[in-house]
Amino acid sequence: MRLHEYEAKELFKKYGIPVPEGKVVFSSEEAAEVAKEIGLPVVIKAQVLVGGRGKTGGVKFARNLKEVEEISGEMLEVDIKGYKVEGVLIEKRVNIQKELYLGVTIEGSAGKPVVIVSSEGGVEIEETARNYPQRIFSLQVDVFKGLRSYEARLLAKKLGLKGEKLLKVGNILYKLGNLYRDYDALIVEINPLVVTREGEVFAADAVLQVDDSSLFRHPELQAKAIERIPDELEREAKKVGVTYVNLDGDIGLICSGAGLGMATMDMIRRKAKPANFLETGGGMTKELMAGALRVVMKKKNIRAVFINIYGGINPIHEGAKGIVEAIKEDKIKIPIVAKALGNRQEETWDILEEGGVKVVKESQTAKAVEELFKVLKERE
Amino acid sequence: MAILIDENTKVIVQGITGRVGSRQTRLMLEYGTKIVAGVTPGKGGEKIYGVPVYDSVKEAKEEHHIDASVVFVPARFVKDTCFEAIDAGIKLIVLVTEHTPVYDAMQIKAYAKANETIVIGPTTPGIISPAGKIKIGILPGNMFCPGNTGLISRSGTLTYEIAANLCDGGIGQSTAVGMGADPVVCTNLVDLLKLFDEDDQTKVVAIVGEVGGTEEEIAAQFIKERMSKPVVAYVAGKSVPPGKRMGHAGAIVERGRGSAESKMEALREAKVKVAEMPEEIVQLVKEAL
Repeated sequence: MRLHEYEAKELFKKYGIPVPEGKVVFSSEEAAEVAKEIGLPVVIKAQVLVGGRGKTGGVKFARNLKEVEEISGEMLEVDIKGYKVEGVLIEKRVNIQKELYLGVTIEGSAGKPVVIVSSEGGVEIEETARNYPQRIFSLQVDVFKGLRSYEARLLAKKLGLKGEKLLKVGNILYKLGNLYRDYDALIVEINPLVVTREGEVFAADAVLQVDDSSLFRHPELQAKAIERIPDELEREAKKVGVTYVNLDGDIGLICSGAGLGMATMDMIRRKAKPANFLETGGGMTKELMAGALRVVMKKKNIRAVFINIYGGINPIHEGAKGIVEAIKEDKIKIPIVAKALGNRQEETWDILEEGGVKVVKESQTAKAVEELFKVLKERE
Repeated sequence: MAILIDENTKVIVQGITGRVGSRQTRLMLEYGTKIVAGVTPGKGGEKIYGVPVYDSVKEAKEEHHIDASVVFVPARFVKDTCFEAIDAGIKLIVLVTEHTPVYDAMQIKAYAKANETIVIGPTTPGIISPAGKIKIGILPGNMFCPGNTGLISRSGTLTYEIAANLCDGGIGQSTAVGMGADPVVCTNLVDLLKLFDEDDQTKVVAIVGEVGGTEEEIAAQFIKERMSKPVVAYVAGKSVPPGKRMGHAGAIVERGRGSAESKMEALREAKVKVAEMPEEIVQLVKEAL
């Protein structure tokens, strides 16, 4: 779950990480009021749950109130990379002397948190890694001890900082490490961390992505999680209890298992285009499968549905009942091709066939996909 | 011989009285797995399909010899459950539970390493050795058959698909292991490759990878430098759009990392034969044998 910049900055404040004076607003009038309050010039930043907004007009400066109203008004109306702008953050403009990068994320293979710092702030860290790898320093953190404050200072020192600034940046990094752990972050990032001409240090931006699997520990975030999903169908699917990814084709897809789902997508792409990816997870029930088929059928252009399920942890015979129920109740007429193997497969086949589903009983998904192509061709 | 398990492995089930735990206990018993005990705090003294249930791993250990544990508890209890098994001296843990917090997985990984315990998962379908008539986890036994191919997969159901394809092609498995597909897994691809490389029964290893992370890239380096047995691979997710999490918590192409192309290229560079589609694995294994 990705938090908005303003939400992440509220947490920063709670942890004692300084951020520029500012406030999130939802109308141009409010924007002008806030700008008056904190003093011009200001920075206006679109609150949108996608990275790289700076390059697409999501961050602008305003010198007077007229500009504040105009810019914030426009920003509140547009989409950025297909994501809705949900508020604008009005912040006091700071006098930048130096921009740094601080981040904590996961080193997947090592299975440890990793702290990354760089003297190149304000550009993507991946870009710095390509162009100036010598300007990036990182440290793997002990997962039980967490980041120690002396370790944070040693890293800050590598950025060429001295005296008061060294202590300030070291301290911010230490607090960032604590926030990372307390909030089960997958990534927390300050890019840029600004050192001003006056010698002050501010987190000018804030990225915080919280591990979805940890939300039971963060009930205040869990309450917002589903509403945060930008795509309507993806949101609806989450309520059903399945993972859905909206794609641009016209073949509906239901799979038990993410790897199998991706492999099936790869196969369908040989001759057709999937309308979605859908993974049931390990909690299949009759209701879940009926709900899954209904979400898939929400798109008007679906030409056929392909179902690929395995009975390992999942009771596929129950799932089959749900499919057939949805077909009957919703009077679904388009062809449905299914492959279902594993525990209680024979029973599953009977239920599906009786419900009018074309069942392919071979072990290769490729064979079932061939059947799908055949059915599609017959219908042309 | 297989890797990690054999026909004599004695197993306990943590979370045996739950809906999934009890059902999977029955399926494992039917397949031939030697389940000696189960653990569910508060349910000590009960029996599940004849298997005695204890309140703690420690108590189970006092009554039985235990080689391995399989974990079916809800995600929020996973960390404590694994720590309990590790503290009781169990050396192999199969962690089936989905949606374990990543921070907990990192702690389990570190604690297991410090205590010389192997943890497979989280989100693993488990381990199966068809010749030993043993499976630990949720893999459906009828998809697998005995043979000389070591199978390592990051996915669950795709493992079944490929195993079934292999069996149809007359190729059995020495052991099949699902690594799990979370951003952090407790046993890495390289660790499993090492075990298969040392295993007498295994002649060739098939890797079933998928988008996300850098496990395949790291493995490619190991294969190039150290692996003596032939390796073939398939990587799922060529058609995955960037920035979308594809069901598995770790399956996401982001920030220029984790694409299927990058993995396939790294593997090919290590002289691994890479299948374009899953069913082609069968032919590649045949050629390698």
